[in-house]
Amino acid sequence: MADQADFERDAMQFTRQLYSAALRMSRNAADAEDLVQETLLKAYRAYHTFQEGTNLKAWLYRILTNTYINKYRKDTRRPSEVDLGDVEDLYLYRRIGSEDSADMARTTEERVLDGLVESDIKEAVESLPDNFRMAVLLADLEGFSYKEIAEILDIPIGTVMSRLHRGRKAMQKRLWEFAKKRGLVPEDAERP
Amino acid sequence: MSRNCDDALANLYLYLDSELDGMSAERIRTHLQACGGCSGPFDFELRLRAVVRDRLDVKVPEEVVARLWGALRGQGSG
Repeated sequence: MADQADFERDAMQFTRQLYSAALRMSRNAADAEDLVQETLLKAYRAYHTFQEGTNLKAWLYRILTNTYINKYRKDTRRPSEVDLGDVEDLYLYRRIGSEDSADMARTTEERVLDGLVESDIKEAVESLPDNFRMAVLLADLEGFSYKEIAEILDIPIGTVMSRLHRGRKAMQKRLWEFAKKRGLVPEDAERP
Repeated sequence: MSRNCDDALANLYLYLDSELDGMSAERIRTHLQACGGCSGPFDFELRLRAVVRDRLDVKVPEEVVARLWGALRGQGSG
């Protein structure tokens, strides 16, 4: 069991990461700070229940995630009811690769990766329904393993994988729309 | 498209997420070195992920960290 007196020493190093994640969840700075404040307080109070030597970062993220869900989540639809549409695998890559030559596709890849700006990516992530967004954030931004995400979100690993898979595809679809809007891909790139 | 290509593409996310066991990861790594058709999508997905991470990187102001822990110290001792 961990000693409450050590909480600051042990948990301080994760403050910035928790805040960044909170910002991506809540979408604004004031709510993010509230979220992290509440998370740290809950974690401090429960620190005597934390098993020393286990994954403190994942433990803190679990508290953060639950706090967010209880406090802010308006979207109470079950994930199965959320329609992300039917999106093919490797959506973005395949669209770009539909160009005539490999050289051209390569150039377009570069242009898309360079040309998508922060607000495009932010909007693509934020457009995902909560359940999918959490999985994508925890994996792609925070670098957690499937097993850790399963523990943080309290869902089976299979569910983590399917949410990640569908979430990433839906995100790529949005990014493709931004790439078109910004003229990063040739007009006729989208073919049946 | 060989069977090795099917295998690699089917395991693309597991591979990039470091969720494959050592032998399976090695099998795919070997295939990617030999197959330009497959290394394309793997490279792209990896670069896209880096772009997403870098452009969403948040600079957390020092005063936010100070405020959070200051408030906690107040609450904790009270």
